[in-house]
Amino acid sequence: MTRKTILVTGSRGLVGQAIKYTIETEPAGSRFGKHDNETWIFTTSADADLRDPEQTRKLFDKYKPTHVIHLAAVVGGVFANMRANATFLRDNMLINDNILHTSYLTKVDKVVSCLSTCVFPDKITYPIDETKVHLGPPHGSNFGYAHAKRTVDIQNHAYREQYGCNFTSAIPTNVFGPNDNFDLDDAHVIPALIHKCYLAKENQTPFIAAGTGKPLRQFIYSRDLSKMFIWMIREYNDVEPVVLSTGETDEITIRQASDAIVRAVGFKGEYSFDPTKTDGQYRRPVSNEKLMSLMGGFEFTPFEEALDFTVKWFMENYDTARTGTNKNPVTASVA
Amino acid sequence: MSGNVILVTGGSGLVGQGIKHIIETEPAGSRFGKRDNETWIFATSSEGDLRDAEQTRKLFDKYKPTHVIHLAAIVGGVFANMKSNASFLRDNMLINDNILHTAYLTKVKKVVSCLSTCVFPDKVTYPLDESKIHLGPPHPSNFGYSHAKRTVDIQNRAYKEQYGCNFTSAIPTNVFGPYDNFDLEDAHVIPALIHKCLLAKENKTPFVVAGTGKPLRQFIYSRDLGKMFIWMLREYDDVDPVILSVGEAEEITIKQVTDAIVKAVGFQGDYTFDTAKADGQYRKPASNKKLISLMGGFEYTPFEDALDFTVKWFLENYDTARTGMKKKTAA
Repeated sequence: MTRKTILVTGSRGLVGQAIKYTIETEPAGSRFGKHDNETWIFTTSADADLRDPEQTRKLFDKYKPTHVIHLAAVVGGVFANMRANATFLRDNMLINDNILHTSYLTKVDKVVSCLSTCVFPDKITYPIDETKVHLGPPHGSNFGYAHAKRTVDIQNHAYREQYGCNFTSAIPTNVFGPNDNFDLDDAHVIPALIHKCYLAKENQTPFIAAGTGKPLRQFIYSRDLSKMFIWMIREYNDVEPVVLSTGETDEITIRQASDAIVRAVGFKGEYSFDPTKTDGQYRRPVSNEKLMSLMGGFEFTPFEEALDFTVKWFMENYDTARTGTNKNPVTASVA
Repeated sequence: MSGNVILVTGGSGLVGQGIKHIIETEPAGSRFGKRDNETWIFATSSEGDLRDAEQTRKLFDKYKPTHVIHLAAIVGGVFANMKSNASFLRDNMLINDNILHTAYLTKVKKVVSCLSTCVFPDKVTYPLDESKIHLGPPHPSNFGYSHAKRTVDIQNRAYKEQYGCNFTSAIPTNVFGPYDNFDLEDAHVIPALIHKCLLAKENKTPFVVAGTGKPLRQFIYSRDLGKMFIWMLREYDDVDPVILSVGEAEEITIKQVTDAIVKAVGFQGDYTFDTAKADGQYRKPASNKKLISLMGGFEYTPFEDALDFTVKWFLENYDTARTGMKKKTAA
């Protein structure tokens, strides 16, 4: 069997850590476990600043990857993006160009890059699916980041057409899990609610979630997502992206998520919603039909179980988790 | 009045030469003429490869522009694009990033970049206007080039929002004029027909035009376009692009174009249409309402005059014009 060296960029993050966990714990040789002919390399920004072509090339020369799972990006919450759309656009385009062009030059067999549901058009018909990525402009708040990610799909098509490169992409939706960003100023909704609830318990203050709790979302556990990335790097060879998500019938309300968090944290104090705060979009359903038909089904971790684990992880690892500096849940910008 | 230094990248091309002609011939101080406080630099690729950040920075350090009209690009015909969408995407993104980022770093006051009508979505409702650029994917044949150009509009908005940079863009449609690319392998329709007609005349062979001649297009003369770029650079400060075109009522058929070329070349022989060949899209009307309302009207050079001049220029400058393979007769 030919040897594979699989380089995972951005592996300090939520998704990269999950892939690492799965590769290290699933039975060797199993569907999602490490295979004998594989060497897995997990790199972070400490190994190379991927905005720099020289450093990127040195990284490739050092590890000589045959495959790349490209997760590295410059990311931030809504407010960080709104203040710096040019930086988010340019830095991510630099990273992506360096990874893809270096992969082309060093004849990497395959690259699976990570897009995001924010690449989809703001005005769109639901459910969202892989064919709709370019049908209109993305949301204005993070258009720089969204455009840089969309460009990866364009680059994948271009490199495939001109050079025959096997480049493709995955579009995860609403990921949560251990090693997330729990910074109250820019975390996504689940880590933000977990952090707020935890602080409310510690400080014996009320836990007040923003909004009505009625909006619906599909959430995917990072460790389930990681299995899908492992499947893609081994078995998916089309240039078109794949949405990696739970099914549309697995939508849950923010209230349901929040209730589950309260249970997992063991919060006993005052718990309510502040309907004067903004809800965001009511529904953003995403289709995972393509994924399911290609993988032949998937056993998702039940939401409560995944959430419970994430909360326990956060409480045990509070001191080293990415919690930011704002410890005042009242002034949290999100959730 | 402190001086403005206006750097025109891609200065040797069709549009760059159009701007240069206007600046050098319009009365000084007139609406489109050179102003006292302006220095105009027309740079070409021989001065620096703009795909390289270092060389771009050296160019800016040399001239210290206060303003930039950014026309430089890697361009080619349909077949060149189809073979190299990755190169057209990447090289143009490198050029555009180098120009815009260097302009930001060196505090250039304004950049007007040149987009193209090919940036518009393939499936779109007509007429084209400035609001429709991002409403769907562009035509696949040159998606790399189109995407690189579309990204300029995204970059303009991002740099304006984050840094307050005064970056904007123009979208010319169907330009023709002297200094065009007349290479039969990849020229646009007017220069291709001019070249074919000339060869037919020289070789005493029939002049056969591909298609039915029925499709309609709006064509803009490069020297008229040159004036519009000068106007934009001096007076237009919005981030949204402006389409630079003749009006929809000025659409003409390919047959009308061919008749005018035949007349200007003085071709006397057989002239027919090969209706078995593809026509391309029947109509692609673009609206110039925004341009005309902002400029307060514009006196276009009559099409026949512009075409006649272009043909005469080509005949006189054949040996130095961009003609590619000179002896081809097929298109």
